[in-house]
Amino acid sequence: MKTLLAVVLVALLGACTTVATKKIASGENTIGERLQVNIEGPWNYISAPNMGPAQIWTMEGLPVDQLRIYSGIKDGEVIHDTRNSNLKSFSFRSNMQSDELVSMFEGMLTRGGSTFQLSKVEPSTFGGGKGVRFEYAMVTKEDNLPLTGVAFATVSNGELFALLYTAPRLGFFPRHQARVEQIARSAKILPTPAAPKY
Amino acid sequence: MNRRRFLRAGCGCSLGALPAFSMAQEPWQAPPRFVRPDTASDEGGLWAMMDREETKLRRSPFNLRDPQLQPYVQDIACRLGGDHCPDIRVYLVRTPFFNASMAPNGMMQVWSGLMLRVDNEAQLAAVLGHEVGHYLERHSIERLRSAKSSSAVGQFAGLFGVVGLIGAMGLVAGQYAYSRDNERDADRIGVLLMNRAGYDAAEAAKVWGNLLLEVNARPNGAARNPLFASHPASEEREATLRELAASLNGGVTNDDAWQQKTAPHRRQWLQEEVKRGQHEESIAFLTRASTRMHGKADYLWARGEVYRLRAGEGDLDSALKDFQAAAALGGEPPETHRGLGLVYRSTHRAAEARASFERYLQLAPEAADAPMVKNYIQELSV
Repeated sequence: MKTLLAVVLVALLGACTTVATKKIASGENTIGERLQVNIEGPWNYISAPNMGPAQIWTMEGLPVDQLRIYSGIKDGEVIHDTRNSNLKSFSFRSNMQSDELVSMFEGMLTRGGSTFQLSKVEPSTFGGGKGVRFEYAMVTKEDNLPLTGVAFATVSNGELFALLYTAPRLGFFPRHQARVEQIARSAKILPTPAAPKY
Repeated sequence: MNRRRFLRAGCGCSLGALPAFSMAQEPWQAPPRFVRPDTASDEGGLWAMMDREETKLRRSPFNLRDPQLQPYVQDIACRLGGDHCPDIRVYLVRTPFFNASMAPNGMMQVWSGLMLRVDNEAQLAAVLGHEVGHYLERHSIERLRSAKSSSAVGQFAGLFGVVGLIGAMGLVAGQYAYSRDNERDADRIGVLLMNRAGYDAAEAAKVWGNLLLEVNARPNGAARNPLFASHPASEEREATLRELAASLNGGVTNDDAWQQKTAPHRRQWLQEEVKRGQHEESIAFLTRASTRMHGKADYLWARGEVYRLRAGEGDLDSALKDFQAAAALGGEPPETHRGLGLVYRSTHRAAEARASFERYLQLAPEAADAPMVKNYIQELSV
């Protein structure tokens, strides 16, 4: 029994050390290979294995608010963590239209049974390309928490670039919305790197 | 003990022994109403935990507080429960998965994904009767005691579909679900209860037959469906229930009453079904549901939407046919015309796309995506 407890403890400690937090400083930041954003004020970047292809940033801590940033997601790539294989996976397709991008993110955000209501979907530019901006309201299945979100997405050279911010409706979302909108406005998608010549 | 009597009556036996379960020989009898267990006991602890979950559920935004539908379903559960009626409290829960559960304290949950799928009152009664069967036989206590570890109790709570445990359902279904014997017992009691309440017991087998259509439609079948992880295979379940029903008198199904009572929720439930992104399951279900007496245009719209979002080979053509059929029937959801517009736009039929988008905005001028659709119209007009 003691051995078992020791093994569990080691495993737990091991799991703890794999979650990393990093401060993202104000100024220009490049995410992935092709997305550049200019941020005003620092954010916290949380990384851990199996968190999916998006960079996860937060102002208040992960249980509270979450900024998901997608940069250069390729055709067929799953857009979320895949830890629970019992739930439906959602993948990006390079020929997706704006409405399909919205549906894909809607599916991802409701995988666990949360409610989701679009409150606005409009054309927008993101990263210099034509895209979509949408606002949504959710209630989480886990704790019945009402959340609000805003998202921007575009497809450039067959790759997905997107930014989704979700936070509790009361207090947190209004507190940080302007910062998120500013990041979205600052986004610049860089040209695809040229293939090396030999 | 009732369980022993039940087993003596043949419930655990093979299909060939099923007639031994008939009421003529030794009818199964429900136990007397339960008294609240001592809070210091394991059972008392479980009741207390379920009481807390019930308080949360009562306040939850997922609780459908429909003043027509809730008492209607409560009444069905009550008739199934017989003397236990005063102890049963039904909550309708907005969650697009096929599930119902009954906790030992009498809290019964019925999820919207289940209500969308059953064709009539008798099919609902079959599922509720099954849950009442678990409750009357106190299977949850049996499972709790076999789980043994007190640390397992939290996850064990998932047996009752408590708020927030959908994500963990695979784990819950795999480790803390009722045993297969418990499921078989509950199936048989459920059929008896629905029959005693005047419903056609033949509908019970149809519930599982219909689910089987969906499960088999999935690319990897039942393997990935957490709700089937520890249940008897549906083929077996369907056959057993059909055989059992054959020994019982017929009864009512009340298709019309059920479909009319649920009609106000149908579109929302269908929207949530589409969002699940389980395209193959949804197509199998919607193909079946589109033959119902009511709401045909809604089901066709939803199936068209699933085809459009799946966007596989030939799917846009199938979507177009469904949207057109829904529009031809009349009374279609406004989103039918948005779907038509998007399909036409994808296939470069600008004039038809523009006309469909305009029709959509006429029918739903305040739609959340109206600015996007107006932009599509502008682009198509250039």
